[in-house]
Amino acid sequence: MKKTKLLIGSYILCALTTMYLYGCKPTQAVTEKSGATLWSENCQRCHNLPPATMYNDDQWKAIVTHMQVRANITKEEAIKITEFLQSSN
Amino acid sequence: MKRKIKLLTTSCLLLWFELTVVNPATAQNFFQGQTKLTIVGNAQIDYLHDSTQSQFGNLAFKPIFLVSLSDKLFLESELEVATSSEGVELVLEYANMVYFANRYLTFHAGRFLPKFGAYRGRFGEAYLQRFANSPVGFGDGGIGAMTEMGVGVQGGAQVGDSKINYDLYATNGPQLLTGSPEEAGQFEYEAYGNNNKKKSIGGRFGYLPFSNSSLEVGYSFQHKASTGDRLTPYENTTFTAQAFDLNYFKTLEAIKSQIRVVGEYKMLNVGNQNYDDGNGSSFTFTNKSSAYYIQGSIRPTQVDNEFLKNVELALRYSEFNTPQGAQWFADGQHVRTQTALGINYWYRWNGVLKMSYQKQNGVDGFYAQLVYGF
Repeated sequence: MKKTKLLIGSYILCALTTMYLYGCKPTQAVTEKSGATLWSENCQRCHNLPPATMYNDDQWKAIVTHMQVRANITKEEAIKITEFLQSSN
Repeated sequence: MKRKIKLLTTSCLLLWFELTVVNPATAQNFFQGQTKLTIVGNAQIDYLHDSTQSQFGNLAFKPIFLVSLSDKLFLESELEVATSSEGVELVLEYANMVYFANRYLTFHAGRFLPKFGAYRGRFGEAYLQRFANSPVGFGDGGIGAMTEMGVGVQGGAQVGDSKINYDLYATNGPQLLTGSPEEAGQFEYEAYGNNNKKKSIGGRFGYLPFSNSSLEVGYSFQHKASTGDRLTPYENTTFTAQAFDLNYFKTLEAIKSQIRVVGEYKMLNVGNQNYDDGNGSSFTFTNKSSAYYIQGSIRPTQVDNEFLKNVELALRYSEFNTPQGAQWFADGQHVRTQTALGINYWYRWNGVLKMSYQKQNGVDGFYAQLVYGF
């Protein structure tokens, strides 16, 4: 149980330290990322990339919303990724 | 009663805050919107050959219905039509009603895939999983629920170059099984109702330290103070589970390949109980379990050869430690291990033919699975 508490404590400490070091706002490098980049980086965390033309605009919106729930992608990422995928149609 | 009133009051205040302060436009648009339905999902079939059996099985068709009611309201639901030794079954995997309150806060309710660890409900899905079957301790009879009934909140945010995400939920939770010595001390995780008045509390915190999201680590927990049937001696049996998970993905230009390393460790601590041995006596044991798996895979996606770029090699090791003194397995072994070596061919982004050789507790087996994603 002590080990578990230590692990949890270390995890929280790392997260808080990183938040402090980097500030709470997204860095410029992150905010300037394109929808295509975010799509590639986030989606491949779990699965292969589907062709961007695979679904229509409404379907992409629903699928990216589904990924907000299932994979916890942020709202900002979801907006940019959806816009990129819809622009591919 | 006071706690319930407080909870109700807090919920009403949160809703009022969202409607009036965070986004006043929401008040006008709350019930508006054009309903749009999207259907995705997959079909799959397994083949297993070992010293005792050789058969096709586990045929399943799993459509996922995604319904956008408005920008704020969303419904996701998966049905599973699957074969078993008893015929064809239709199961409601999940039906999750979602409300996006703001960019950092999402409420949901229904039957949903709980984020306890990252395997179940995520990497265990057929078109994400690299093997035809689950690691030991992560499939049926393992630790933790596949689905839960209840309510939850979740969200995520960018913090500097890093990202954090969270999930918290209150559900009916696991139910202690006591019906026979073989199942005593195990849990029914997917019941549609509750067996007592207590709820379980659980959640997961995820952290992605790098700006390219290549690494995610997570910590999960779940606790329920009473898991036994109401008004029985088993009622106040406690359940406490924790999990640590890791997912690393990277495209390495030097070897023209994508590599992925995933792993998870989880442990379960259950309160002590005296169980009926079926002969008028009782028996007890220290009910602690743990399981882990580590998996690596490599796929040369950057090579020119059209066939080779779709071939993937995967290696996995898993271990499931169950309590000594429990009578869960007929062979009496309390430590189960599995080593698996697989080769997969991705004929489509979500379609794959998997083949693997596995050794589980000394028994060799060949497993294959065909997955059609749509």
